[in-house]
Order: sequence, then C-alpha cells, then structure tokens
Amino acid sequence: MRNDRDPTIAPLPATIIGLKTLSADTALFRLTLENSEGDRFDFNPGQFIQLSVPSGGEVPISLAGPPRLHNSFEVCVRRVGHVTDMLHRLLPGDRLGVRGPFGNGFPLGEWTGRNILLIAGGLGIAPLRSLLYALLMQREGFGEITLMYGAREPSAILFKEELAELSGRRDMHLFLTVDFAQEESPSGLACNTGLLPTLLRGVNFGTTNTVAAVCGPPALYRCILEELQELGIPAEHIYLSLERRMKCGVGLCCHCAVGDLFCCSDGPVFSYSQLKGISGAI
Amino acid sequence: MTRNLLKHDSVSDFLEILATFGELHGPVLTEDGVTAFRPLGPGIDLFLTYDRTLIPPKKYLLPPRDTVLTFAPDEDYRLPVAAVSETILVGLHPCDLQGIAYLDKVFMGDRIDPLYHARRTALTLIGLSCEPDENCFCGDLSAAETHGCDLFMRQLPDGFSLRDNTPKGTAILNRLTPILAEGEPPEAASRTCAMAAAIQQASARGETYGESALWDEFAGRCLSCGACSLCCPTCYCFDVREYGALDGETTMRLREWDNCLFKDHGEVAGGFNFRKSRQERFQYRYRHKYLGFGPTRGIVSCVGCGRCRVVCPVGIDLLELFKEHDDEKRP
Repeated sequence: MRNDRDPTIAPLPATIIGLKTLSADTALFRLTLENSEGDRFDFNPGQFIQLSVPSGGEVPISLAGPPRLHNSFEVCVRRVGHVTDMLHRLLPGDRLGVRGPFGNGFPLGEWTGRNILLIAGGLGIAPLRSLLYALLMQREGFGEITLMYGAREPSAILFKEELAELSGRRDMHLFLTVDFAQEESPSGLACNTGLLPTLLRGVNFGTTNTVAAVCGPPALYRCILEELQELGIPAEHIYLSLERRMKCGVGLCCHCAVGDLFCCSDGPVFSYSQLKGISGAI
Repeated sequence: MTRNLLKHDSVSDFLEILATFGELHGPVLTEDGVTAFRPLGPGIDLFLTYDRTLIPPKKYLLPPRDTVLTFAPDEDYRLPVAAVSETILVGLHPCDLQGIAYLDKVFMGDRIDPLYHARRTALTLIGLSCEPDENCFCGDLSAAETHGCDLFMRQLPDGFSLRDNTPKGTAILNRLTPILAEGEPPEAASRTCAMAAAIQQASARGETYGESALWDEFAGRCLSCGACSLCCPTCYCFDVREYGALDGETTMRLREWDNCLFKDHGEVAGGFNFRKSRQERFQYRYRHKYLGFGPTRGIVSCVGCGRCRVVCPVGIDLLELFKEHDDEKRP
C-alpha cells in the first residue's frame, strides 16, 4: 500500500535553488528535493513532473535539464496561467511540491547507432534540451545529431547562450529559425527566417537510419510529419512528445486520453505509427 | 434445503442485524420523489421495488468532491486523515454491482488509489435481483450477480433467497440464520439482452461508427449538460482543483467529478483544444464507454442500467448507433 510519502500521490517538498529568465515569459527553474529524496531523483528525457505551487495548484511540466544532475533537476516554465503565474513570482529558496517523474520518456536505448534529428518548436525545446544533453553525454553511441529549433521571433529563442555554445561543437549540427525576423539579432546566432518545415527542406543531413524526435505546439506536428516521411524517415522512427492537461499523472483522471492510450502513462512520447489513425491525437 | 430464505415479514429484523455491521444505506424514495441511495434509519424506509436511482452508487467510492491533499506551510502536502466508516449498501442491482466492479479495476488495479481503496474496503455490498424495465439493457444477469457483491438477495414471491459470495457475506449470513427460513438452493438468473450482445460485438470489433450521420444528429441536439455522465455508474473522470483558505497559505486539493462533454476537457495550455466540437466530444465519450481506455482497454464500461437514456433532456440514446448498425446488416 502506498503511503503519503509516495511521490506518485503526495508531492515531495522541493526548493528552488536556481532561477534564470530565458525570455519575457519563460524561465528555467533548478529544483532540489528536500531531505534525502534529492539524490534519488532520476528520470528519462521526455518524462514530466507534476509541479505544485503552494496555494496555487499543480501543473504538468516537462523535465528540461540533463538527467542524473547531482541532486537537482531543471524545468522550463512559461507563464500562461494561474499556477505558472504564481510560480514565476517565486524566488530561489522558495518551496514547491513535486510528484513524479511520470511517463515513458524517449527510448534512447532503441536509438543506438542511429542518426538523431531533434525538431523543437517554441517551448518544445524544453524536453528536447534534456534529450540532447542525454545524447551528448553518451555521444559515441549515436551517429549524426542535429537540432532544429524554431521560435516565433528572435526574442522568443530560449537558451541563447547554450545554443551559442552548441553551435561551436563539431559533434552536432544546430539550425535555428524564427517565424518573423525583427531588427534584433538573436545574440549573434546564425538564424534562418521561416517555419520549421521550410528549414527542414533546405538543409542537407543524413536521413537514412535516422530517428526524429519532435516537440512543439500542435500546429508543428501537422505540418512537419509529412515532410519527415517524405525525407524517408518512417512513421515508427518519428517520436512525438504530446501535450495534454494531465491532472493525475497516473492514468486515472482520463483528461489526457489519446484514443485508447493515456498521454501521462503510455506517453507523453509516442511514435507516429502509434498515433496514426487516432482521431484527435495530433 | 438450506436456511437462506428471508421472508418479507423478517426484513426489518434483517436490517437491524445488518446495521450492527456498519452504517446502513440503501435505495429510498426521497420527499422530492427521487430514488436515491441514502442512510437508512427510523422513519426512512428501504425501497426495494425501485427501478434505478438517479445517482449511481459510485458516490460512495468517488464522492462528487473529494479532498485528496491538504497543504499547510509547516506540514507540506498531506493525505487527508479522515476515518472511513464501515458502510453496508443494501439493494444494489446487478448493473450497479458491475459498475463498482469496473471502478475497482480502474482504482485498485495495477495502481491502487488510497482513497478509493480505503472506502472500498469499508464497503459491504448486498445485491438485489431486479426486473428490467424498458430502459434497461444489461447483459447476462447471472454473471453480474457475483460481481464483487458480498451477499445477494434474489426476489421470490414470499421473500428473498440469500446467497453469500465472500467471507464477509458468509459472516453476515451466519448472523442472519436465526431469522431465516428454509428455502430452495438459489438458482442463478438467466437472461440475455440482444442489445448488450450487440454492444459486446461492436466493442470486440473496435467499431467506432465513424461514418454514421447520427453523430451530427446527436451533437446537434446535445446541450452538453453532462447529465449522462453524472448519472453513469462507470464514468469516473475527474478534475483536480486547488481551493485556498483566506489565510492565503493553507489549501485543500480536491478532485471533482468532471465531464468529457464539457468543452474545457480537451483543452491544453494556451487554449488549444483537441476536442473543440461537440461531435468530437460525443465520439470521445463513445470510445470510452464502449472501447475502454488505459487499464480498461477493451472492456465495455456500459453496464446497461439505462440511466443515461432516462435523464437526457433531449432524448439522445447511443443505442441508436447499435440499432442502426443492426438495421444495415438486414437485407
């Protein structure tokens, strides 16, 4: 029988130990679990937590940082509603509640030896950042690694400093694009203008033996899936991280049902072949 | 011959003995003319010839609003500690027993929900045979009768024959022996319903009737009032809400009955909705009832109680889908 210290049921107390503003409405929070729980927290990239803001409520949030960080983990949160608004008013030292990690995460073990293409739209960079760091931590296990990241406008590009560092790496490719170019330059980063499908069409990279991981707003999936298949990536090698308003996180409340599947417990990462034919999935 | 016959004139003794096992609840006719499961006691008569209650017995396991966590700055998040009292629920029709058995699969399957588990363990179920009316369409009664009930009462002309199904039921039956008469060994009821069989077959085929014009017709009439899901014995989806106290610090986290026919059910952050149209929400509900989700994938969760058909203010009846399909197959 589970008790009230089971993190799938009652949130464990956590403390904000780092806070970094990434854009006008988005910040990166570094958290640590209190007591002895912190060193037990591990997760797979693509998994999420249920984050409780005391006297606010609970929201599902993707884990955004590298796995197996010593004693801490990172979440990237946009201020879009009541709970995230309260979260954005907190400071290092303030306390939160954490349940999880939940969900399946990306199946890295099945990707050994393959080229990896990451496609992130907007806040979709959060789980893919976690995935990218996990891939780079075991770099020799994979072929080419390519990250394509699209944001609405230069000021909405998240993790600019890190992207600048990543762009200098020889063991991966980085392509950025913005929907609308303004005068502002994205911190000197080389950046295209246009949507992600256009970027995808204009770039040469290995498409054989490639798996793609996609995360972004619903509109991104609709326009990018066909492109990826035309490039020769089969549906079973295209992985999507889906968003739903998960309430319980453990497959009970039914808010996140996708066909016969639950986004919280069967996903949130699904292969496109799993989702094809499910009405309302994408 | 076994001592298992509860004669009509022993029913009040029966209830008295039952009440020694816990708080006694059963169907009563309220002063508003509604049949409801309520606490029984002096002046509150058990109504055993009822057709169906408005709200199903799921309310005993999943209250409409249920505190799941409390928060205080010096205590962090805690599970509620309210004691659950032993409750005897008498007079449950096989469809409602089947509804509870379905909820058991969801909340006490691979992942045990502690609140549900505590209430379920403290609940004794006493089933009652029924006479289906024109709105019922449940399946094989003999199978449904044993669905997790502790004791089953079959209606006979001179009383009820009792059958124990669990050790809890046996313990009760043993205490009842002094007031029981000798009767014939109970036989299981046998009744099959063509519509229940059609639903099972459609579910086995994964049939969604995607091309049916009835979806538009239903969606055109539906008021999204949610009554069908509120009164469904197996609808269990819930919302989670946080209610803060005036001190601005302590809060209660509640789970509350939700409804997939409500528009915000399919919403995600930023306002995008995966089930914007009423038609989509209707089909979503169909999938859940007849094809199952997650741990109940492939299990038909409709138990044929007929409540949704009775309460719909605009007369929507999903059985029309199955009937339409049957009509198509006819030459």
